[in-house]
Amino acid sequence: MIMTPGLRKFALTVHLTFSVGWIGTVVAYLGLGVAAWTSQDVQTVRAAWIAMELIGWYVIVPLAFASLFTGLVMSLGTAWGLFRHYWVLFSLVLTILAAVVLLLHMPTVSFLADVAQEADGADLGGLGGDLLHPGVGLLVLLVIQVLNVYKPRGLTPYGWRKQQEQRTVSQP
Amino acid sequence: MADPPLYPDSNSDTGDDTRVRPPSTPRWVKVFGIIVIVVVLLVGIILITGVGGPHGPGRHIPSGDAVETPSGDPGGYTPPIEHGVQQP
Repeated sequence: MIMTPGLRKFALTVHLTFSVGWIGTVVAYLGLGVAAWTSQDVQTVRAAWIAMELIGWYVIVPLAFASLFTGLVMSLGTAWGLFRHYWVLFSLVLTILAAVVLLLHMPTVSFLADVAQEADGADLGGLGGDLLHPGVGLLVLLVIQVLNVYKPRGLTPYGWRKQQEQRTVSQP
Repeated sequence: MADPPLYPDSNSDTGDDTRVRPPSTPRWVKVFGIIVIVVVLLVGIILITGVGGPHGPGRHIPSGDAVETPSGDPGGYTPPIEHGVQQP
C-alpha cells in the first residue's frame, strides 16, 4: 500500500528521528566506553558501566528496533519497496545485522555492569571499556545513513521485473 | 556520435521497449557486497579461531579472576531494573 504524501512525510520524520537518535545514543555510549577505559577514578568507571547498561537497554535497543520497524514501513509504504533497490536491500540487511549484534552484546554489558557494581575499587581497572562493538556499530550506522541519503542507483532483478510489469500495465 | 543502444534487441524507434534482460549489477553493489562478505568472513574467522582473544565478558575480566563476578549467566537477558530492586 502506497502512503499518501502527508502520511509519507510524517512516517519519514518518525523514521529519521529514530535513526538519527540511534546514531546519537551510540556516540554517547562510546563516550561512556572511553571514560570506563581511560579513567583512573573508581566511581567514574563504575558509573560509566552502569550508565552503559541503562542507556543500552532503555535507549539504544528500543531506538534500534523502532528504526528497523519504521524503515520497513517506509519502504513498504512507498514506491521504493523493500527488495527493489540495492540501497534499500543493503540498508535492511545492515540494520538487521546491527540490531542482532546489539541484542547479543547487551547481556555482556549487563554482566560487566554487575561486576562493576560489586567489585572492589582496585579490581575495576582490569574491566576496561567497551569500544569495539559500539565503534563498529557506529561505522555500520553511518554507512546506512550515507546509503539512505545518496540512494545510489541500481535495481535488483526483482525490482526490474516489477518495473517491467508496471510498464506493461500502464501501456496496454 | 550517438552511443550504441544498450539493448540491440530493443525496438527503441517505436518507443516499444522489448527488453527482456535486467540491467547488469552496478559496480558499487559488487564492491559493497564484496566488502560486506569479506568483513563478515573475517569476523567469523576471528570468533571461531579465537585469534583476537576471548569474546564476551572474559575479555574484560583478568584470567586470575580477582574480580568477584556476580552469579548468573552472562549470556542471558539481564534487564537492569531487576538487579536494581531494593531488598527489604
